[in-house]
Amino acid sequence: MEGSEVVVTGIGMLTPLGATAGETHGAWRSGRQARFAPLPELAHTPLGTAQIALMPDFDPGERLGSRRMLKYMSESAVLGCVAAHEAAADASIQKRFRPERIGLYAGTGLAAARIEEAAPMLRESVDENGRFSCRLLGERGLAATNPLMSFKILANMPPCLVSIIEGVKGPNMIFTPWEGQTGHALLEAWRAVSEGEVDCALAGGADAPAHPFTLLYLSQAGLLGEDEKPANGAAYVVMERAESARRDQQRVYARTAHMEVSASGDRPHDPLAARMGRCFAAAPAIALCLACQVEGMATSVCGADGQEFRAELEITG
Amino acid sequence: MKRVAITGFGVLSPIGETSRNFWHALKEARSGIDRISRFDCSGFAVQLAGEVRHQPALPPDVARVADQDPKVGFAYSACAQALAAAGIQHLDSQTALHLGTSLEIFDLAELTCDPQRGLFGMADPSAVRLDRPLQIPLDTAARLISAHFGRPGAMLTNCSACAASAQAIGHGFRAVRSGRFQVAVCGGFDSMINPLGVGGFQLLGALTTDNERGPSACRPFDASRSGTVLGEGAAVVVIEPLEKARAEGKQVLAEICGYGSSLDAHGLTAPDPEGNGAARAMLAALEDAGIGADAVGHINAHGTGTRLNDQVEAMAIRRVFDGFWQHIPVSATKSVAGHLIGAAGALEVGACLLPLIEGIIPLNPWLRNVGSGCELAHVTGAAVMLDRGYVLSNSFGFGGQNATLILRRPDEQ
Repeated sequence: MEGSEVVVTGIGMLTPLGATAGETHGAWRSGRQARFAPLPELAHTPLGTAQIALMPDFDPGERLGSRRMLKYMSESAVLGCVAAHEAAADASIQKRFRPERIGLYAGTGLAAARIEEAAPMLRESVDENGRFSCRLLGERGLAATNPLMSFKILANMPPCLVSIIEGVKGPNMIFTPWEGQTGHALLEAWRAVSEGEVDCALAGGADAPAHPFTLLYLSQAGLLGEDEKPANGAAYVVMERAESARRDQQRVYARTAHMEVSASGDRPHDPLAARMGRCFAAAPAIALCLACQVEGMATSVCGADGQEFRAELEITG
Repeated sequence: MKRVAITGFGVLSPIGETSRNFWHALKEARSGIDRISRFDCSGFAVQLAGEVRHQPALPPDVARVADQDPKVGFAYSACAQALAAAGIQHLDSQTALHLGTSLEIFDLAELTCDPQRGLFGMADPSAVRLDRPLQIPLDTAARLISAHFGRPGAMLTNCSACAASAQAIGHGFRAVRSGRFQVAVCGGFDSMINPLGVGGFQLLGALTTDNERGPSACRPFDASRSGTVLGEGAAVVVIEPLEKARAEGKQVLAEICGYGSSLDAHGLTAPDPEGNGAARAMLAALEDAGIGADAVGHINAHGTGTRLNDQVEAMAIRRVFDGFWQHIPVSATKSVAGHLIGAAGALEVGACLLPLIEGIIPLNPWLRNVGSGCELAHVTGAAVMLDRGYVLSNSFGFGGQNATLILRRPDEQ
């Protein structure tokens, strides 16, 4: 592809290895592994021994500097907004670029409503024989439902919340639900910056597969591997042209020589998944963030849909 | 950069299950909106939708999924139609497949039906039928299409809500224009006509409960509008370089010549009240097409029939087309087909092909008294003829994602 040189000037991460990009990076360098445990909600089921990666403690309101939008957020949205906020602040994008010239490109994972939010609706929708009734859902179930639940299951909401919080108003695309789709988001961001459609792009992904519904689906789909335990996570990068980074004397983590998403077929051993669990739609962005800081770190991530994301980077930071 | 042609169009919609039927229904202003038959809606305040009445036969593996998630069958059928129309048998590494949609299906009955399994059926997940997954991932349609028609070089599933399929077509257009791909098969598929979809939108107050209006319940830009009506279906276009299409003797339905997208970054529940995001998408598309506002001869509005959206869109159109809007006929496909959410943008690109091919701009049939702030050159009473070569289609998504596409007659210079 002919175009301007693109560099990464901001990163944000929230993973089982750390609540910030710095913590995750430090844990990765020190060889630490995530802690894994079963999901309590599935304790008395055949999936009772299925493990998920545990997340570090963090206060999203404090990280975002506001609690105003939290009521609209799914778990995935919280993770994505916090990671995007860290990346945006890292590159000072609000101070340096017009909102209309900042693009947003993101991947999101499988949707899932929180059990405690869905329970009142479903409880009111079950008849005396324990059967789900559409009529009862309409008559009673909806009245028992928090209207905000809709915002938490629509797949585009996590990145839209990022746009609202960060004031990003430029071109955008959101893909779902596996690793390869976030790879496409990163690729589109890279192209948009390189070709001058945007001055800077906030790009990444967030996923929260460590959830009872999702775990059950992953089990049905044969995606619960012994070596690949589901993990929540999110990561965002800021890409811009080398020229603007130089002009503003911005720290450059890495130069991006090439990015691609290809049909790869088999999923090879994934060191990222082995160390921190499988973050699905967040994984390519996490790999990219780490590869911007760790020499020799693989950026290649193959998804459940058989598409593989790969980036060639030159670390400069 | 290459000029980009639409060489195939496939559609499955509440007003037609082929391109010919769809265009015919638009010309006749025949509504596909009626009482919901897909599930027992008697307890719901919202009882209207635009349903696909006939799903053509599907291969067994697709039919199995479509039984649980009808939109997957719609996607397959529309894609098969579009490929056949473009004379393409197989997808290959030179092809991008990009489909937009909105929300996964959750099987509520499966989650709650057996009291022995407890609430959500989680007491014994092994008892859940493995051939009936709890949810259908949104990329399932693309995967099944790939399994039947060949693996494309890129397979994308866009979930940008009501802007998803317009974005998919915009992305395909750029991919072919730049030469990255020789063919793009793109569009959208959706059905929110299920208990959770209708219930969720009802809770948000986006749907009309004016059930007695029946087929005329979706009334974009009218003073009496009271919310949108959900529709379902799929629309897919095949995009190729114009030169290649002509060299191969293919029918060119239209050229795509501009695409723009933007974010409101305003709020989740309402659009930017000034219409700035919508205006930026339209301006970006005009700039991308290299044309001025005076070149546009028709606008297919997003036109949902909700109080705020229509007003904001009208304001944005008047601002972008300042001095010209009085002469640009505006129609709103949702008035007859309902709101296809993730497939809406692609369906409305399909609607834009009608004026480009036959010159006929369909009317907005239920518009009697233009709502305050909704003043535009609406097509009412009877269809009008296109008198300039370019048409523009708007798609504005829940959450503040906006996309605009510009098409033109293939002979336009």
